[in-house]
Amino acid sequence: MEATVKDQVVSAEKPQLEAPPGWQPVIMGILCNWCSYAGSDLTGTSRTQYPPNIRIIRVPCSSRVDPWFIIKSLQTTADGVLVSGCHPGDCHYITGNYYARRRFLVTKKLLNFVGLHEDRVQFSWVSAAEGAKFAQVVAKVTGAIRKLGPLHLYKKENRSQ
Amino acid sequence: MDYTNQIREIAARLLSENRIDVFIGYRKTGFDENHLPAFITHPNATGDLVFTEKSGFNLTNYLKFEHTRNKRVGLVVKGCDSRALNLMLTENQVKRDHVYIVGIACEGVVNEQGEKAQNCLECVMPDPVVHDEILGALSGKRDYQANSDVKELWQKDLAERSRFFEEVFESCIRCNACRHSCPLCYCAKCCIDQETSTLYHGANTTSSAFHALMTWSLHLAGRCVDCRNCEKACPSHLPLHLLHKQNEQVIHEHFQGHLAGMVAQDRGAFYKYNLNDPDDFIL
Amino acid sequence: MILSSNTNSNEMNLTTYITDPAGLEQFYSAVIGAYETYGPVETFGKFEFRKITSLAGCNPDPPILSSMSVKALFFPRSAKVLRYRTTSSGTELSDTAEDPLAGKRVILGVRHCDARALEVLDRVYKWDYIDTDYLNRRANTVLISTRCDQAAAHCFCTSLDYDVEHLDALDVAIVRGTDGKIYLQARTEKGEQFLKQHPPGPADAAGTSAEQLRKQYVTFENSFRLKMNYKEINGQMQNKFESPAFEEASSTCISCNTCAFVCPTCHCFKISDERIRDEGVRYKSYDSCNNIYFTLMAGGHNPRPVKYRRWRQRAMHKFVYYKERFDLNLCVGCGKCTVSCPVNISIFEVANRVAASMQ
Repeated sequence: MEATVKDQVVSAEKPQLEAPPGWQPVIMGILCNWCSYAGSDLTGTSRTQYPPNIRIIRVPCSSRVDPWFIIKSLQTTADGVLVSGCHPGDCHYITGNYYARRRFLVTKKLLNFVGLHEDRVQFSWVSAAEGAKFAQVVAKVTGAIRKLGPLHLYKKENRSQ
Repeated sequence: MDYTNQIREIAARLLSENRIDVFIGYRKTGFDENHLPAFITHPNATGDLVFTEKSGFNLTNYLKFEHTRNKRVGLVVKGCDSRALNLMLTENQVKRDHVYIVGIACEGVVNEQGEKAQNCLECVMPDPVVHDEILGALSGKRDYQANSDVKELWQKDLAERSRFFEEVFESCIRCNACRHSCPLCYCAKCCIDQETSTLYHGANTTSSAFHALMTWSLHLAGRCVDCRNCEKACPSHLPLHLLHKQNEQVIHEHFQGHLAGMVAQDRGAFYKYNLNDPDDFIL
Repeated sequence: MILSSNTNSNEMNLTTYITDPAGLEQFYSAVIGAYETYGPVETFGKFEFRKITSLAGCNPDPPILSSMSVKALFFPRSAKVLRYRTTSSGTELSDTAEDPLAGKRVILGVRHCDARALEVLDRVYKWDYIDTDYLNRRANTVLISTRCDQAAAHCFCTSLDYDVEHLDALDVAIVRGTDGKIYLQARTEKGEQFLKQHPPGPADAAGTSAEQLRKQYVTFENSFRLKMNYKEINGQMQNKFESPAFEEASSTCISCNTCAFVCPTCHCFKISDERIRDEGVRYKSYDSCNNIYFTLMAGGHNPRPVKYRRWRQRAMHKFVYYKERFDLNLCVGCGKCTVSCPVNISIFEVANRVAASMQ
């Protein structure tokens, strides 16, 4: 039986130099159904390329996003998280994204406070018509995470080494 | 600050007039330590009650349903305690006519070493914001002060902060005393205690502590009143106030100076919005 | 059947060595240099047992009331039991890596109540299931500690069912004499062999140490504020299952897990699986009988949803049931539960109130 008693602290965020060869960032994408998800759909139908590192989960509204989802993603397999919703004023549920952006700000700052680089968690407003923008956003976020390297800090330990 | 006699008199009166079923206040320990919560059900037993600067515990924690199911409660609250009570009333956890609130205009409580507690030095509202009667003279709202420990941590770079918090999360023993002593954590079953293997984090690892403490502080953001019940309860002495004060500062700075529970019927910061909330960080 | 856990060290012909403060320092350095050593290290204003490479930052004497008992080095807060992976052809199980706690090691600064607690726990780990991991760790560990000079506010070890002066379960006990000398007494066979290999000074051939050790113990015994008549309490509690004192005494309990986690003799655990997609780890980690979900079963039935009943079970287990089964009191009177409890509920107080209640 292996006890998880640690007497040495694992070092902080490691730079890209230590990424294993062939490593690809895993980005968790949480998109609101009515704007961002539709927008990403448009990107696809327009045949615009964007990095395939993003794994998309559809929620009814950006306001559905509990900070818990972001924390869980970072703790398990994600190297970064992108949450995207409708532009303020255009929310399908009228006010959802107004509440959401409050949560986003506090979450982002707190994660940075405990030692995660601020580029690990990003947010965007992408409307259903902004297929091109979605591709740009994903490329930007993927590039930033690629530079930061794989996330080791606070990761769950249950992967076999 | 000593309201021992007044508290005893009020409790005896309320119990003998059958206006409450239980009076929740403070009692001395056998040693010269800070006071402990006490449940008094008989008017003759009120001699055990005390109230001084050693009466730090936030008693509104006992208004959570499992402690005072369907009982009429008499309660002692200080400034921060009463703000928590405001939120519990707004969030329908407590019926207003089931509680008789004895508010203390607080002059600050002391920590285990006998020094004035840090949250009292930075106190924003020493007066009870909801009450049925008040003891002491009101002193009014004070200016908000940023927490000095949070400021100090922000001076450090990312690597140092992550090492510091890694140490914090490693020392957590997942006892959940913080959750159980927080008045605003009243969920019958905590979201992170679900038993499916992808969600459950019963194992005590640095990662599970990160997950638990971060989720907890973000669910509390905009609702935390800085009573420090959590920090006092923690057997590992973790500096939990760092997480809550960090959130409180962001909320106070960016969301119209919002502070939890200051006004009756007020909701937490995440239940409101303003059209001018910042979103320049959003792509 | 009375099972004696340890004979009186006087009868076992064990050696006491004499040295001075400088000699003790050297002894510690030699031990740290030769073995994997653990000691109480300060973290966030309280003490936890961690691996040490020198005495810097570690304070082994006099033994400090560490928040976490030394039990975490024998029964870890979290241990991996196995790894699994599901594939198209089935589930593969694999053992986890080498146990990092299994090597030969020395622990300094262990309060004797904690050491005694390990001895009490040994009984249950050799009972219906022989827990080889725990027993290996016990066999490979030498406990060296200064004996307490003074009781802390919530200590009551001298009131219970063991001879604190002689049966503390330390392998090597260190006593600071009033004569300025330092006495290191082997209290077990393991301690005797250890000191033979690493003599800290000359052996006490003349027998002068006995008087110093007795003096130290008497001073220590007189420093206690909490005392109880154990036989009386244990006897009374056996008949007071329905006592209303349980409910009164536990009314302020908030059902967190703190008391059981810091208690040096609590040994309940839970098994949980943590999975990412198709691979995962099974963990064994601490559990507490005060937790609302402790008795929750698959299907949803929970036999102990009521708080005072959980508290009653805990108090009875500590003072009655374990004694009935193993002839050892489970509570060792260290007071850690009271100190760490968010509302300072004192098990000493609860036991007294129940024993004194009318029914």
